[in-house]
This record gives sequence, structure tokens and C-alpha cells, in this order.
Amino acid sequence: MILSLAWKNIWRSKKRSFVVIGAIIVGVWALVFMFAFYNSFIEAFSRNGVNHDYSHIQIHNPDYLIEPGLEFRLSEVEALEQSLNGSQSVKSWSGRQIVNGMLASPKTSLGVQIYGVVPDAEAQTTGLESQLLDGTYFSAIKRNPILISEKLADKLKVKVRSKVVITLQKLDREITAASFRVEGIFKSKSPRINESAAYVRLSDLQSLTAVTGLNEMAVYLNDSELILPVKDSLSAVTNDLVRTYREIAPEFDMMEQQSAMTKQIVTVIIMLALLFGIVNTMLMAVLERTKEIGMLRSIGMHKKSVFRMIILETCLMSLIAGPLGLFFGYLTNMWLETNGMDLSAYATALEEYGMDAIFYPSIENVTYPILMMVVIFTAFLGAVYPAIKAIKLDPLEAIRKL
Amino acid sequence: MSVIEAKSVSKIYNPDTIPVHAINDVSLTIEEGEFTAIVGPSGCGKTTLLNMIGGLDSVSEGHISVSGVNIADLNEAALTDFRLKNIGFVFQSYNLIPVLTAKENVEFVMLLQQSHQSAMDERADELLTKMGIKEVSQRRPAELSGGQQQRVAVARALASKPKFILADEPTANLDSHSTESLLDIMAKMNEEEKATFIFSTHDQRVIDKARRIITLEDGRIVSDEKK
Repeated sequence: MILSLAWKNIWRSKKRSFVVIGAIIVGVWALVFMFAFYNSFIEAFSRNGVNHDYSHIQIHNPDYLIEPGLEFRLSEVEALEQSLNGSQSVKSWSGRQIVNGMLASPKTSLGVQIYGVVPDAEAQTTGLESQLLDGTYFSAIKRNPILISEKLADKLKVKVRSKVVITLQKLDREITAASFRVEGIFKSKSPRINESAAYVRLSDLQSLTAVTGLNEMAVYLNDSELILPVKDSLSAVTNDLVRTYREIAPEFDMMEQQSAMTKQIVTVIIMLALLFGIVNTMLMAVLERTKEIGMLRSIGMHKKSVFRMIILETCLMSLIAGPLGLFFGYLTNMWLETNGMDLSAYATALEEYGMDAIFYPSIENVTYPILMMVVIFTAFLGAVYPAIKAIKLDPLEAIRKL
Repeated sequence: MSVIEAKSVSKIYNPDTIPVHAINDVSLTIEEGEFTAIVGPSGCGKTTLLNMIGGLDSVSEGHISVSGVNIADLNEAALTDFRLKNIGFVFQSYNLIPVLTAKENVEFVMLLQQSHQSAMDERADELLTKMGIKEVSQRRPAELSGGQQQRVAVARALASKPKFILADEPTANLDSHSTESLLDIMAKMNEEEKATFIFSTHDQRVIDKARRIITLEDGRIVSDEKK
């Protein structure tokens, strides 16, 4: 009957209970939404980074990582090619020669990183072709075509079919230059690529540098869960350095950690707000029932039963409100997962982080019971002080108020 | 057989500052089945004496034993348990639990004693029938008259068959008809259930019904009459 009494006590002051229940619902809904939003933020950051920049795995000559230079090429390209082509886990891969050089237009010149790529392989691996804003993808211009980012095009003040000159230093330190024609202008989802990358055909760059071989191999997998086994199998066939995108770019881990920390901080803030609300409400409920609690103690209700009754009242409210908040959060996320959340107003800032303006919040199912436990724990904490107040009431003092 | 024995009991408030002797060297014995009224003018110490007998207030000097147990020897938890098992309380303002029905209120003490539901149902129905309020057993206190609420309170006090019932000014908030009716019921319970009743009152109608009248003045017993 303590449970039954606690349940009935909740509905003594319906308005007050509904305020508490409403506050918990809103708090839980906000938490679910916030978790889902941060998840989509991190997911978009990782997805764009993998899909359009780093791929899942990259292979380099170990010395290339110390000082990126044309001379530090992959040592066992054929073995790697064989392994990659024979692997069911690999969706595509792209071999690249990379060299730093100057890109000059009639107006100005800029330092850029020139990627010599096999067009089809690069298109499949980084989706470069799909990112074209203007022009064509290595098909319309026969001699020395080049793809540059929209940002570079603006800086160089060039457009499709404009002529640009690449100047670079060969292995023997001799400066060489060649004229290229802009075939396409792209906008990558990777800020790093947009800032300084220009793509030419691998054969054109190898002619210019007079160097064969590759500086980098980027590997895109069918499933990101396969990263570690594929990394291990590639490491087994080469002495070059095989690294995952997380090893290459620590910002992925940093973003995840930052997101986890932010989620924890926001959770604590929301739960603290709920905690104070619950303490305040339950304290009012206890003080309003001073006489009654005094009577209960007088007729033989033990302190622990009074304590349990107050705790139960609060926990029951959280048991009503928590699932409702989770349900509303679930519905909101279901809708947003399908329709997306348009943050176009912040598109410029988001692009700087390599993210799209439309987010698709999603949340792992395991988060729901965790949030439910957090809410019940908060409700329990919120009830402790009022419950202690209740059991500290002197029955005689309470009776004297009768 | 004596249910309550009070020996040289005193209650002194503010002993370290301005001592107030609420009860002064009171000794009394209450036998099983008594129907006793403690009477006297306001401030004479009736309620204080009742509170000390009920273990709600401490004794400054002397000792009170209930069925041979010195209640001063009990710690708080044991005292709560002792009240639950041995004493029924009837308050001036009824003090029913507003969210429970009349029947649930009657069952509440038995519930605290962890009685079986069937036993609780049976006892509650029996008492509510004896009290003449069976037909309102599913109503909440707010839906009952003052007289009906106090009858529920008496039924609650009797429910667990305590050794005695302490009733502090039980008729103070009742009209004359309800008072008569309640007193008749309590007298009947005293007869039928062999329940020991101790009232504090200055209501002449209660005094008239009581079979023993203990009169207090300035915290002392000035007369103790048995009819």
C-alpha cells in the first residue's frame, strides 16, 4: 500500500505533478534530441572526411610522413595492388603522386598540392567527379587537363577552359613547368582539399616530374567495420606505413571526444535543472503534509517507510515522464532522420568543418535505457532531501499543529 | 490487570532556562477495559500526559510502563513499533489520509503491521459496520461529515486491536448529535472489543459517559473518581 499511497499522493496536486512531469518530459526530449544532433554532427564530419578526403586507409612511405616529398614513394606498389584488387572488403582504391608546386594564372599564383590521379579510381574512391560544380571530369580536354577547387578558381580568377601553369621542382632540384587547362571546378566536402588541392592525370604529372611510382594509396572499404583486418592484411604485404583515417587525422577522435564531453556536460546541466525542480516541488509537497506525516509517524509508520513513500512518489513521476520524453524524442528523431534538419543559415560555418547544411539526427537504441536510468537516478537524488526533511519531522511537533 | 502504570511522572519544559512544570509528580494506573476521561481546564497538562503515555513525548522524571514495558527504555524505532502494536490514536481533527478511502484508512495501521489483505478486509468491514458507516467505506474523507470522519478515525485506532486507545479531545470538532453518536459507539466498542479508552476532554458529555474521571489541575491529579 506504500506504493499505492505514493501513487495517490502524486495526484493530490495535479497541477504541481503535471509541472514536474512536464519538466522531466521536456528535459528528456531535449537530451534525446541533443544526443541525436551531436551524433549526426560527428557522423557527418566522419563521413565526409572518409568519403571525400582520407578514405578508410592510406598507405605511405614512412619517410613521406616526416617530410612529404616526391622522392618518398611507395616501395611495393605491385604487391599492394594485387592485395587490394583481390580483397572482397575493398570497394575502391586510388594511387596518387603528390607534389607541392605553384599554380599560376595570368592574374596571380598560389602554392598548391598537386595530385596526380587515375581519374576513374579517384572518382570511385573520393567521389571527386560528383563534386564538380562546372566543367567536365577528365574527358573534354585531351592535353593536360586540371581540376581545381572553387576556392582556388576564385583566388586565381580563372574559370573552366582557362589556362594555368604548374611549376614544380623535380627530384634533381631542377625547376620545371607545364601549361594545363582547367577542365573542371569542384567543391569538395573536405576543407583541406578545397584550400589547396589540384587534380591532374597521374600520367601527366609523372611526365612533368619525370618520376614514376606513387606517394600515396587511398583505400575505400565496403564497410568501416573492416578497417582493422584490412589494415593488418595490407601491412603484411608491404613495409610501407598503413594507417587508418583516425591515425592520419586525429581530429576525428578529438571531435568524438569533444562531442562526448559536450553531451555529458549538457546532460549534467539539464539534470541539475531537473534536480532543483524536483527538490523544490517535493519539498513543497512534504511541507504541505507536515501534519499528515506527523500523524503517520505517530500511529506507527517507521521513518524508513516515510522515506520510501517520498522517494517512490518522485520515482513514479519520473517513470511516467521519462518514457514519454523518450517517446517524443524518438518521434522527433524519426521525423528528422527522414526529412533532415536544415541548417542552411549556418552553411558557411559548417563548410569550414567539412559538413553539409542538412543534418539527419539519429541515436543508438542503447541510449534510451541509459537516459531512462539517468532520469530515475536524478529523480531519486531530487527526492532524497525532501524525504530526509520528512523523516526528521517530530511527530509531536506535527501533532501540535493539528 | 493494569495496562498503563505511571509512577511519579513529571514533565518539565525548558529545564535549563525558565522551567515550566507541565506535569508534576503524577502517578496513575489504568486497568484493561477502562473507559477513562482525563479532564481539567485548558493548560492543566491533559494532552501532555496523553502524549507521554503514547510515547510521543519524553518523561522528565518518573517512568511510564505499558504492559510492563518502560517506554523510556525504547529507542525511536522500537518506540514507533511499540506505538504501532500497542496504541491506537484518535485525534481532535480526525487526521485521516485524504487520498485513501474510509476503508483504506481503517486498513492502514494493519497494513503497517503487515497483516494479510483478507484479514484487513474482514476487520475493516467489521469495524465499519459496527461504526455504522459501512455504506460510505469507499468514500474519501473529504466526502464524509465530521462525525463520519471521526468514526473512521476510531475504527482505524481499533483496527489492529491495540492495548489501549488515546483520544485527545475527540469530540471537540463535532456537533452534539455527532458527539452523542460517537460516544455511544466508543462505549459499545469498549464493551464489545474490550478496548481500553483514555480521553482527554473538557466536554461534559464525554465526562458523563466516562466510568473513571481523572481531574488534573496545574499538572497534578486533584481527583480520581470511578463511577
